[in-house]
Amino acid sequence: MADKHSEVLFGLYDDEVDLLDAVKQANADHLEIMDVLTPFPVHGLDPLLGLEESRLHIAGFIYGALGTMTAFGFMTWVFTRDWPIIFGGKPYWSVPAFIPITFELTVLFCAIGITVTFYTICGLAPGKTPDILDDRITDDKFCLAFKTNGQSSEQISKLKNFFSRTGASEVHNKVI
Amino acid sequence: MHQFIFTGRQKSVLLGFMVLGLLCMGLTWAVDDPFHTRFWTNLLHNTVFFTGIAFIALFVYSAWMTAYAGWHTVVKRIFEGFSLYMVVGLVLMLIIAGGTWFHYHHLYHWAAEGIADPTSDHYDRILAGKSSFLNKSWYTFGSVGFLAVWTFFAFRIRSMSIAEDNAGTADYAHHQKLKRIVAIFLPIAAFTSAAAIWQWVMSIDAHWYSTMFAWYATASWFIAMMSLTILTVIFLKGKGYLEEVTGEHLHDLGKWLFAISIFWTYLWFSQFMLIWYANVGEETVYFQIRRDDYPVLFYGNLIINFVLPFLILMRNSTKRKYGTLVFMSVLLLFGHWVDFFLMIKPGALHTALEAMEHMGTAVGDAAAAHDHGHALAGDHGGHGAHHAIPPGFKMPGLLEIGTFLGFLASFLYFSLNQFTKASLISKNDPYLAESLHHHT
Repeated sequence: MADKHSEVLFGLYDDEVDLLDAVKQANADHLEIMDVLTPFPVHGLDPLLGLEESRLHIAGFIYGALGTMTAFGFMTWVFTRDWPIIFGGKPYWSVPAFIPITFELTVLFCAIGITVTFYTICGLAPGKTPDILDDRITDDKFCLAFKTNGQSSEQISKLKNFFSRTGASEVHNKVI
Repeated sequence: MHQFIFTGRQKSVLLGFMVLGLLCMGLTWAVDDPFHTRFWTNLLHNTVFFTGIAFIALFVYSAWMTAYAGWHTVVKRIFEGFSLYMVVGLVLMLIIAGGTWFHYHHLYHWAAEGIADPTSDHYDRILAGKSSFLNKSWYTFGSVGFLAVWTFFAFRIRSMSIAEDNAGTADYAHHQKLKRIVAIFLPIAAFTSAAAIWQWVMSIDAHWYSTMFAWYATASWFIAMMSLTILTVIFLKGKGYLEEVTGEHLHDLGKWLFAISIFWTYLWFSQFMLIWYANVGEETVYFQIRRDDYPVLFYGNLIINFVLPFLILMRNSTKRKYGTLVFMSVLLLFGHWVDFFLMIKPGALHTALEAMEHMGTAVGDAAAAHDHGHALAGDHGGHGAHHAIPPGFKMPGLLEIGTFLGFLASFLYFSLNQFTKASLISKNDPYLAESLHHHT
C-alpha cells in the first residue's frame, strides 16, 4: 500500500500508554504521522489519528445480501423449475426448509467476501511478502512511523528528538 | 448525582397510569363474557410479562457476575431494582393459581374437573396423560413456590449488594459471598423458569407442547428487559443521574438488544421448523390457528421483533444514539408484549369457547355480551374458520393497551422507588473501575 521505496523513520514504544501520549504529542507538534502499528487494537487510537469508521461492514452487508439471494434464488429455481421433488408430501417451494441453507450461505458469502476485500485493501495475497518495519510489532512493541522521503537532516533530527522526548525505547531507519 | 430522588410529579404521573390500568381492568371485567376470559387473559398476560422481566433481570445479573463481567457494573442497580418486582408478581400469581382451585377463570383446559377421570364427561385422554404435571397442585407449587424462591434470591442479592456499598472491605468479601449466592441461583433459575413457563403459558394450549418454548419465552423476556433497561438508563441520564454511563455502555446494552433479537428469531423459527420438518402434523395446530386467525399479529410479530431490529440495530451508530435506541426499545418492549399476547390469547379463547359450549352457555349470549366492548376495543371483526373472535383477542384493544400501561407504570413506580434506597452507582464493587473505563 505504501509507495515503492519509502524512507521510514520509526520509533518503538514498550507500552500503549506511552504510544498514545506520543501520538498526542505528535498531533500537538503538527508532525505528519505515516502510520501507527500495534500488536493489538489500542483503545482511543482511532480518534487521535483522525481515522474514519471503516466501510468494510458495508461491503460485508452487500456480500451477505448477495449470499441470501443466491441461496434462496438457487433453491427456488432447483425445486420449482429445474428438478422438482416432493419431500414428505411438502410443497415444491418449501420456504422453511430453505431458511437454514440461506442463513449459512449468507454467513459464508459475508465471511469470504469481507476477508478477500480486507486482504485486497491491505495489499496482502498468498505468496506476497509484506513490508514489515519490525517483526516485534506483532509481539510486544508499539510502532510510530514517519515518512522521511526528501526531508532535510534538520527535520530528521527534529523527529529523532521527538522520539527521545516521548520515551521511545528504540529508533530505526528503514527503506521499504 | 448518585442518589435518585423520586419527585412528586413522577409519582403522580405513574400513579395516574396505574389508576388508568385499574380502570381498564374494571371495564374489561364489565364488558366481558360470562367467564371473564378477556379480564383473566389480560391479567395473566401482563403478570407473566412483567414478572418475567423482573426474573430475567436477576438472571442476567447473576450470569454476568458469574462470568466475571465488569462492564455493566455502572448499571447494575437498575437490574437490582427491576428484580424486586417479583414480589408483586408473586401476589398476582397467587391470585391466578388460586383461580384454578376456586374456578375464578377457565384459562387452563387441564384445570377442568374430572379431566383425568375416565368416567367424567370432561375426560380428556391426552390431558389425563399429562396430569401428573399439569394439575392444580403443581401449578400452585410452581407459580408460588418457584416465584417465592426467586424473590428470596432477589432480596438476598439486593441486600448483599447494598451491604457492600455500606461496609465493603478491601478483600471484597461481600463480592465473594455474592458470587456464591448467584452461582446457586443460576441452576435453580434455569430449571424452574422453564417449568414455570410451561405451566403459565405453554399449558394454555394444553394438548400442544414444544421443547423450545421455554427458551423462546425467556428470550422474549430478555429483550423486553433490555429495552426497559435502556429506556430507564436514558431517562435517568436525562434527569442528570448516571453520568458515569457513557455511549460505550449504551452500545453494549444495544448489542444485547440486537443479539437476543436474533436469538429470539432463531427460536421462533426453529420451534415451527422442527415440527414441520419431522412431519409431526398434530403439533402444527399451535401455528395453524395463529397464522390463519391472527395473520397480522403472526407476521407483524416477525417484522417488529426481527426485521426491524436486525436492519436498524446492525449499524454501529444506531446502538450509540439515543434516538434510535429509544425508538427500538419502545418498539421491542411493545413487540414482545404482543408476542406474549399471541402466546396466550388464542389458546385461552379456544379453551373458554369450548368450556362455554360444554356448559350449555349459548355462545350467542357470550357474543351479545361482547358487543358492548365492540366499539371500545376497536376490533377488526375478523371471522375465523370456526367462530368470530371477540374483541380483545384478535388484536390488543384499547383496554389491553390501558392494562399494559397500568402494569408498566406499576413496574416503573416499584423500580424507581427501589432506586431511592441506594446509590445509583454501587460504591465498592470490585469491577466498578473496569466499568468506569469501559471502552468497546
